[in-house]
Amino acid sequence: MNFIMRGRMWSFGFRSTIMLYFIVLIVLPIIGIYSQSFKLGWLPFWESVTDQLAWEAVLLTIKLSVVSTIINVLLGTMIGWVLIRYRFPGRRILNSLVDLPFALPTAVGGLMILLLLGPNSLAGGMANKLGFEIVFHEPAIIIAMVFVTFPFVIRGVQPLLEELDKSEEEASYTLGASRTRTFLQVIFPSMLPGIISGAMLAFSRALAEFGAVVLVAGNIPGKTLIASVYIFGEIESDNAQGAAAVSVLLLTLSFLILGAVNLVQARRQGK
Amino acid sequence: MKPTLFKGWRIAGAALLSVALLATAACGKDGAEGTADGTQPAAPAKGSVTLVIGAYSVAKDAFGKLLPEFAKQWKAKTGQTVTFQESYEASGTQARAIAGGFEADIAVLAMESDIDKIQKAGFIDADWRKQFGDNGMITRSIAVMGTRAGNPKGIKDWEDLTRKGVKVLYPNPKTSGGAQWDINAMYGAGLKESEAKTGKKDPAYAKAFLERIHKNVESLDKSGRASMAAFEYGFGDVIVTYENELKGRIMQGVAYEEVIPASTILIENPAAVVDKNVDKHCTRKVAEAFLAYLHGEEAQHILADYGFRPVNASVMEAVEGDFVTPPNLFDIGYLGGWDEVRSTLYSPKGVWYQVLAGI
Repeated sequence: MNFIMRGRMWSFGFRSTIMLYFIVLIVLPIIGIYSQSFKLGWLPFWESVTDQLAWEAVLLTIKLSVVSTIINVLLGTMIGWVLIRYRFPGRRILNSLVDLPFALPTAVGGLMILLLLGPNSLAGGMANKLGFEIVFHEPAIIIAMVFVTFPFVIRGVQPLLEELDKSEEEASYTLGASRTRTFLQVIFPSMLPGIISGAMLAFSRALAEFGAVVLVAGNIPGKTLIASVYIFGEIESDNAQGAAAVSVLLLTLSFLILGAVNLVQARRQGK
Repeated sequence: MKPTLFKGWRIAGAALLSVALLATAACGKDGAEGTADGTQPAAPAKGSVTLVIGAYSVAKDAFGKLLPEFAKQWKAKTGQTVTFQESYEASGTQARAIAGGFEADIAVLAMESDIDKIQKAGFIDADWRKQFGDNGMITRSIAVMGTRAGNPKGIKDWEDLTRKGVKVLYPNPKTSGGAQWDINAMYGAGLKESEAKTGKKDPAYAKAFLERIHKNVESLDKSGRASMAAFEYGFGDVIVTYENELKGRIMQGVAYEEVIPASTILIENPAAVVDKNVDKHCTRKVAEAFLAYLHGEEAQHILADYGFRPVNASVMEAVEGDFVTPPNLFDIGYLGGWDEVRSTLYSPKGVWYQVLAGI
């Protein structure tokens, strides 16, 4: 009896702690943002969102996030594959270095790009001579986004590759399938959920990136200003409502993506 | 056992709180006189005092020299040690911070309207302009262009910024007061030009002029300082900035060149005592002495060394040779004053927004 009571108490305690955490740190701030953006009614919200500079910033952010996600899907899948399937010296160190972008302050990432690709650097100088603009233009923003979201796809793919039953692959070969066919029909499908959910997380993280991008983007409205920096600028110029309206756009987008990730993972578990 | 302990703590806490309240109340009433409170023997006049400076980023270097200098003099005069807590931010950000509760004793900002912002929030009394003379301003400067050594792109006037392939840097006027001066200078230069051509100020011409320059902008940084930092990293061919900022860099041995356009704006930077905070901190006396010092000849000479144009007439005469006055120098009054500039240029759908949005 006593034991059960204690068990119940524990579970009640845990549940309320989690609920409290959830409400204080997630639900309340989100409600705050939504109510702030609709505080003055629909019309000001609509005006803030349809403000030319605002939607240009949001569109640019989405465009660059898509590009960086594609790059990450290609690179990340390859890296994940290599780290699991091949054995070579330094593999372990490389594997732990993958998480570095999560551990570093993103501003450090931005600074690295600035120093490595700026006009006074070797790479930047060369690109300049060839007529490329990197820093303060779109390429730098994409590089910053790729850097920050680098681990997602890799860490999404790796466990699936590890889980993959060796015998499935062997069966495929025994049945006479070529290497390509085995990869496309056996290995790739089992990696796919990891790639998709990793890509979606990377995408929503890229949408939100601020610290690295603000240093390397020119931040010119309508040209190189991304949504998160736009929000910052609106707060700096006393337009909290405009900032909240664009935040709501990003937040809604992130929710949709999270929902999609959950769907993908649920399907995988169902299978 | 437990409750009594608890009670004891509570009483102690209440006592502490009331002492703290008493102290602040006493301070608020006769802050100007300094100490003299019969009941409390602890006299804050001797010993040390902390002055919190909330300044705009460009003032940093000059203040690095001015603050120790003032501290030395104050120590000699009163025996009191002044320590400074300094914060340097883009002017607009700094003004918002102080208006939002950052307890700066002294506000040194890029432009009057930022001080006005703090005043509107109720922190500064209405007569800050008259308190120390010079209309509340401590420094002057002009908006100029800076180029790389030898001026490789051959920049001579604002018009050259519109040329193809010239990369321009200036900070974002939404966050930086300094940038508003820069934009005002270019907009005003456009007005001057239209006036010379047609005899009338033509805002449409000035806007188009600004638009053409803006096409060549490489980066809109947060503050004048950040913009200068980007220029130092090697970005851009021309930076639009304060003359003092550029002179300061040149003085440090960086080989930039100053290009003074034919028509540009006279920049005036104010400083004010934040009344509410000095009363709270009991620092009115030293804060006012510091502002008086800033307006005095010695500080004005130091500021001139850092490339600022002094507001003090006799100091200006002494250093006149160091500064070139462009033929068509105008002040903010030419644009109709700050209120007018704020409503035409920087309002939500104003000229600056239209330039950005390309409409």
